[in-house]
Amino acid sequence: MGRRRRRQPDPADAARALPEAIAALSRTLPAAPSPEIFRRAKFDRPEAAPALWRLLFHVLSPLSADSASVSFTLEAQVRWVKSVLHSQGYPRLALVQLQDDGSQGGRELLLALAWLLARGPLPERLLTQSHVRLGDEMPVCECEALASPGPPAPRVEAEGSVDIRHLQWLMGKLQLRWRNLMAGQQEQCALLGKNPWQRIFCSTRLSWNLSGLQLLLLCGTCPPADLPAPQTQIHSYTRGCHSDRSLGHLSVTETELLRDPEGGRQLLQRLETENARLEAALEWRHRELVFWRWMDTVLDTCPLEASPPTFLPRIPEPGAGAAGLPVRELQALQEELQALQEELRKAVEARRAAWQAAVGGHGPEWRAARRALQVAVAQDLAALQWAWEQGKGQARPHGPRRLVRTEARVPGRLGLWATEATEALRAREACLEAMLHQLQGQCRQELARLVGVRPGLIWVPPPAR
Amino acid sequence: MLPAECSRRLVAELRDALDSCAELQRQLEQSLRVSRRLLRAWEPAETPAPEPTPGPEINEEAPSSACPPSPQDLKELELLTQALEKAVRVRKGLSKAGEGVKAHSLKSGSTSPATRASAPPSTSHCAGSCAPGTKPPRGIRHPWVPAKDLPGRRLLLVGDGAHMGKGAGANKPEAGLRDQQIIPQAAPPVPEAFTLKDKGALLRLPEAFRKAASRNARLWAQLSSMQTGDSVDAAAATAKTQFLQKMQTAAGQPGSRLSSAEVGRLQKACSLLRLRMREELTADPKDWTQEYRSLLTLEGLQALVGQCLHRLQELRSAVVEQPQGPWPEGPPRAASPCGGGADPMWSPQLLLYSSTEELQTLAALRLRVAMLDQQVHLEKVLMAELLPLLSEQEPLGRPWLALCRAAHCLLCEGGQRFLTVLRDEPADRLSPP
Repeated sequence: MGRRRRRQPDPADAARALPEAIAALSRTLPAAPSPEIFRRAKFDRPEAAPALWRLLFHVLSPLSADSASVSFTLEAQVRWVKSVLHSQGYPRLALVQLQDDGSQGGRELLLALAWLLARGPLPERLLTQSHVRLGDEMPVCECEALASPGPPAPRVEAEGSVDIRHLQWLMGKLQLRWRNLMAGQQEQCALLGKNPWQRIFCSTRLSWNLSGLQLLLLCGTCPPADLPAPQTQIHSYTRGCHSDRSLGHLSVTETELLRDPEGGRQLLQRLETENARLEAALEWRHRELVFWRWMDTVLDTCPLEASPPTFLPRIPEPGAGAAGLPVRELQALQEELQALQEELRKAVEARRAAWQAAVGGHGPEWRAARRALQVAVAQDLAALQWAWEQGKGQARPHGPRRLVRTEARVPGRLGLWATEATEALRAREACLEAMLHQLQGQCRQELARLVGVRPGLIWVPPPAR
Repeated sequence: MLPAECSRRLVAELRDALDSCAELQRQLEQSLRVSRRLLRAWEPAETPAPEPTPGPEINEEAPSSACPPSPQDLKELELLTQALEKAVRVRKGLSKAGEGVKAHSLKSGSTSPATRASAPPSTSHCAGSCAPGTKPPRGIRHPWVPAKDLPGRRLLLVGDGAHMGKGAGANKPEAGLRDQQIIPQAAPPVPEAFTLKDKGALLRLPEAFRKAASRNARLWAQLSSMQTGDSVDAAAATAKTQFLQKMQTAAGQPGSRLSSAEVGRLQKACSLLRLRMREELTADPKDWTQEYRSLLTLEGLQALVGQCLHRLQELRSAVVEQPQGPWPEGPPRAASPCGGGADPMWSPQLLLYSSTEELQTLAALRLRVAMLDQQVHLEKVLMAELLPLLSEQEPLGRPWLALCRAAHCLLCEGGQRFLTVLRDEPADRLSPP
């Protein structure tokens, strides 16, 4: 048995490579049309356009919008896709000139899809978004806690002008909802795991400004079924069950699938689908080179775009800046940065003055130490700057994490400890509270200035808490 | 009345806030419902086999196989059912008793979690099911009614009692009568009802699921490692950058465009800088090195903020220069505090905790931070809308005063407290005519 002779590259292979690459792409993207549609799109066939609009809509919208996507008409989807692409900096104007009914422009849409694919790992990102979570997931940073901007739900927008009391009412409703939410969560967990006799009964009045720890102590209406958090119970009862030793116990999802075979079947099916999509993504990664060569040819068949049109087919709304970004937002950012600068300036002035006063005659070792400190601080700040320049916010990647119950401080466990996450959240809480107070103070000053010019009125502030 | 535009925007913002809060509530309630249901005794048809069955489908986990029960099993089943019924009766009677003693029985229940031999108190949420202390003849010494009723049973429930159900656990006394309780193993007795507390440690995930899950993990690992590049990847990367450049030049748009990425970076910069400033301002310097270091850091932060502002000014002027494009109004960008640099690739990350309290603190803190975040956002939005409105309106009429007062309440007191406005009458008006 000799070594296999290297086969000559089969010309038929090359011909097959492109359709296979596109097939892999079509298998890995959610809601993707068949490969045939891609081919038709190159020749700008009309039937390709609606399918590609829908694909772009699914690709660009966050997961929460998927379920609602059926309620969007094609026209609404088209408009939304256009605006999102623009806000991401899509260069070609031909896209926006396509009709809103989604009937034309297959080639432009293909280019748009390729542009999105080229900019980042799109299939992987989509797969991560729709990943089947097998554990009890808890996000440690709250960037996903509140809804991310998806397509605006088709809501009745018949509002005219309202009285400010309506706003106050809405605000009160919001506060009440938060109150219920937090009280409900505390009701459902034990205040103290072991000894119920030490339960502290307080009033149910929750104030806006309580710290997290104080919240824990407030639970006036504990129902009788007030036992340790069900999740942690499940974790401790199923200890030792998991085939994966590093996890050690089952999650609620896994236990649920054991209890409910039908649900388990569905979960299994979703897993299998995801596995298929993952395999397709791997195949795509192997084959994508031929796709890019093909896209070059597609781009070449497009006519060169003229300079930007001099007329505006649509009058933009006042306050809407170019590039899809409201001027208002930039203004807000500027104000924030200016406020920050102001606060820093005051702090620096005070500290510098104190420092100058305190520093007496220090010897030469002082100078060396000073230089060392300067270098250290410069490095520190460079790292901070790198953090936002490079797009990596934190040392640890964030996103929901699987909860795992384990013995305290076993060395060698890879993962984030709840205590550390709590510390980080406390820092964030303090920062937000400070920001809120600062904003409120700013408002107070502004309002005082506005009313100060009016004589003949006495403003009695509400009693301090 | 507020102008229409302003009203619409503000109402939309508040409605969004209400919706997100409702969504959080819904998620919490759902997860709680699922967990609670798992902690109760499981429905008989869903009782899993404690041992792993090598079937290719999960269906086979449901004990619905073919061994017929022996007469002895049926007899035992009968006895057990009767005991169950009695337990339910007792429990119903006791649940009307005070809650206070339940705590005590729970306490005694928690002292013997390890001994599976004793019939356990009924599972967690059945209130009053193990509060027999109020019944005088029972006394607190015997908190488990069923155990007292079935002294002989206890022996049966010992040890490799994997196959024997616990009578007290079931919520439905008629559950035991169903024939499909049979485990397809050789063990004769019929499991009564499954409770997680007792037999949770014996659960095994089905084979098919395990295979799928491990394949999933493997595929993800492969995908992650692919990103770190090989020769095929490098060629594709160059092809992609070339394509992007071609797109840009073919588009005919001159110059650099303001992209939301740039603004996003600035927003992230702002939040990171603020967080850092907060840390420095609250830190307590212990000696002069720390003080100096803190001073240097603050000055450095100031310089960075200046740079960001400068960059923002540049961007804004660039925006003004460009012609207003025909693009439809874009979606509002939410400034994500963590920077939005989310990992595009999933990887298994764990959050480790060692006690319930840790988890509860974390969960409560998360909610609180989310609430504060929303509050700050709303505050900014309200400020941006209401303050200009107030400064524009000149007349010193009632409506303006009312608006002022309401604005103060919303903006400065979080919508909770109102101030009072008094008209300061000049003294001479009060003098007698």
